[in-house]
Amino acid sequence: MTKVFTDGLSFAMPLLIMAIGAIYSEKSGVTNLAIEGFQGFGAFIGSLIAIILMGTMGQSSQAVLYIAMAFAAVGGGIYACLHALLCIRFKANQVISGVVVNILAVALTSFCTSLANTKINGTMSNKFILGVSTRFTIPVISRIPWVGGLFKNMYPFEIIIIVLVIFFWYLMYKTKFGMRLRACGENPQAVDAAGGDVEKTRWAAVIISGALSGIGGICFAYSLLANFSPSIYMGYGYLAIAAMIFGNWGIGTTAIVCMIFGLAKSGGYQLCIFMGLPSSYSDLFLMLPYVLTMILLIFFSKKNHPPKAAGEAWDKGKR
Amino acid sequence: MDEYVVEMRHITKRFPGIVANDDVSISIRKGEVYALLGENGAGKSTLMSMLFGMYEPDKGEIIVNGKPVVFHSSNDAAACNIGMVHQHFKLVDNYTIAENIVLGMEPVKKKFGFLPWVDMREVNKEIQELSQKYHLEVNPTDKIEDVPVSVRQRVEILKMLYRKAEIMIFDEPTAVLTPQEIEYLLEIIDGLRKDGKTVILITHKIEEIKKIADRCAILLRGKLVDILDVKTASVQEMANMMVGREVDFNPYKSPANFGKTILEVDHLTVKNENNFEVVKDVSFSIREGEIFAIAGVSGNGQTEIADAVAGMMKAASGTITLDGKDVTGASIRERAEAGISYIPEDRQGTGVVMDFTLQDNLALREYHKEPFSKKGILSFDKFRSYADELIEKYDIRSGQGRETIVRSMSGGNQQKAIVGREIEEHTPLIIFVQPTRGLDIGAIEMIHKQILKERDRGAAILLISLELDEIMDLADTIGVIYNGQLLQTAPADTMTSHDVGRYMMGVKDA
Repeated sequence: MTKVFTDGLSFAMPLLIMAIGAIYSEKSGVTNLAIEGFQGFGAFIGSLIAIILMGTMGQSSQAVLYIAMAFAAVGGGIYACLHALLCIRFKANQVISGVVVNILAVALTSFCTSLANTKINGTMSNKFILGVSTRFTIPVISRIPWVGGLFKNMYPFEIIIIVLVIFFWYLMYKTKFGMRLRACGENPQAVDAAGGDVEKTRWAAVIISGALSGIGGICFAYSLLANFSPSIYMGYGYLAIAAMIFGNWGIGTTAIVCMIFGLAKSGGYQLCIFMGLPSSYSDLFLMLPYVLTMILLIFFSKKNHPPKAAGEAWDKGKR
Repeated sequence: MDEYVVEMRHITKRFPGIVANDDVSISIRKGEVYALLGENGAGKSTLMSMLFGMYEPDKGEIIVNGKPVVFHSSNDAAACNIGMVHQHFKLVDNYTIAENIVLGMEPVKKKFGFLPWVDMREVNKEIQELSQKYHLEVNPTDKIEDVPVSVRQRVEILKMLYRKAEIMIFDEPTAVLTPQEIEYLLEIIDGLRKDGKTVILITHKIEEIKKIADRCAILLRGKLVDILDVKTASVQEMANMMVGREVDFNPYKSPANFGKTILEVDHLTVKNENNFEVVKDVSFSIREGEIFAIAGVSGNGQTEIADAVAGMMKAASGTITLDGKDVTGASIRERAEAGISYIPEDRQGTGVVMDFTLQDNLALREYHKEPFSKKGILSFDKFRSYADELIEKYDIRSGQGRETIVRSMSGGNQQKAIVGREIEEHTPLIIFVQPTRGLDIGAIEMIHKQILKERDRGAAILLISLELDEIMDLADTIGVIYNGQLLQTAPADTMTSHDVGRYMMGVKDA
């Protein structure tokens, strides 16, 4: 049972940081289905750096993860500029732009991974083999029955993400930047009339969204799955978006939703083992978070209040 | 020599296909209420948008406090202590009043000496003090979506005061307010003047100017007509200058000449989507050459009667007979073909297709018939000639003529287009719902004349209006609706506006 909590948290945290990325973008008024693309591209850059570093610093070096994480954030942020350019500068349809950015990311990372593999170690594989960072257990509280599992065998990235979540919550709700960002998603005309710069704010929000998604992506690649290939991030971006919608675009509520998703996934997996079913059934149980999403959306989607101006290109001349 | 706080000299501004301002010069003294009077589309808002930095003039110069300035954005204007309350409020609905006021000028404090943050508790206190100082009572922690329009406007005024604006521009501030709220707003403006602020008031309502303004500049089709001292100018004089010709406040009404009954509404009941009876057992009839007006306070079921007759809402019970034919169950098009024209209340929602051109909108009633289409293929030659004919006949003004996208036209001209399109059908029954709401004098006069012309032609007219004056001027027969029921139906000359007003409040024996 403790394993359910341990694995649940380690799955929920990367999902949460991506969902917060999505929240930043949407709260600023840019609908963002491109989270998965940002995640994939960010993770690819991070993994590439990790592979190169592992060659010089050794397979077991712990510093690799942190450097890779920084690069994943940068990579995700840069890739997000594409979505920002299409949606903000060229006022493209934001849903279509998001889908295009996702499809492009799969193709691009697949191609580049193979290319990098031939250059670095001469194989044709479209997969980077990565390491796993050392886990640690927080003493005392981890001994609490059941819930103690949350503090057992933790990955270092979980702590980093918790710190980031607090920081980005503060930025969103307590600062001038956050106040303008949220206003941009509700009524950009009001921000413009009050002397704010809508375009700049939205650019910043989309880039933040890319950086956070990249961080989420590298956590999946390094540590959780210990490899990178385009197939590892399929579906997680949309799951993060589902968490955001179900969490009603709030950071606190979305955190709870991500935790539910994480526990559903790890719980399903453990249930499958517990029932002694053949491993082919595990896929069935892995559907749990998605089925849960659909059921929850049926009940909660009516009460949701998405940012009013999300999805609308901002046109200064329009009154 | 007077001390001018704002001078705009020889301002010219062109938009594609239209000269919005043509060599306009105005000078505004410190501490006065200066009104800009003109019809919709006369260029008042454009002129002030340039003073507020939203557009740059093509020609001419702006001088503020004696110094020539060039504004690239509204920030530049705000830096010169100029503020503006836009016609459509620029507020974030789910923010509190205080948050909206400080947005863009947030006071930033350092938490623990390094973490920047906005202390909302402090801000709320500050806004509370500001609102008390200027007698603009608001509760800083209320959300915008929960407060009425008049409070939202107060928030916009506080926003300017918070930014230390000395020159305040109000763009059509009374358009959204009730009479009592207008009184209150004018008091506020008077208070601002006493505090030494300079107020520029954009409006097309002369009575407001008469009440509050010191001087008044009149614009007509982009040109400055005259600058008047409000105290010495008469209402008639201002109205004539604004429209550019003699305005007839009392349209001539020829004696009634009723023919056979066209519309017969019998025991009509209409339910809304919540299954609530909004029209209860209403009966009336309209004859040829008769204007039947339904008077009432907004929301008493008058719009639903019109919708039920036009076929937009279903009758729960009762019958509607048009020229002897039962049309109760007929579709909208069947009724239109049988002889109903409809000028709806929601112009932009049901009256026009906003993103179509003017030409296409004018053909909406006819496009499926010859000669507008032959065997299902549209003939645009006919569209064009028909549009030009109507534009000429109904004086529909727009940037690019028949090719103009209707969304970019002013509200008054959109309404003229709808009225023109519907009247041109010359149907036996024409329904007008709030035909002149929000329009300027010139357009109102024109529409009233058209209504009377159709009556004299022999059409039966159902007029629904919230303006008692309009009903008293035009109607032959008045029905007063209260709470879904027709309380009283009588010939117009047997009732005074005082009587009608009492029935409107639900008093049965006036």
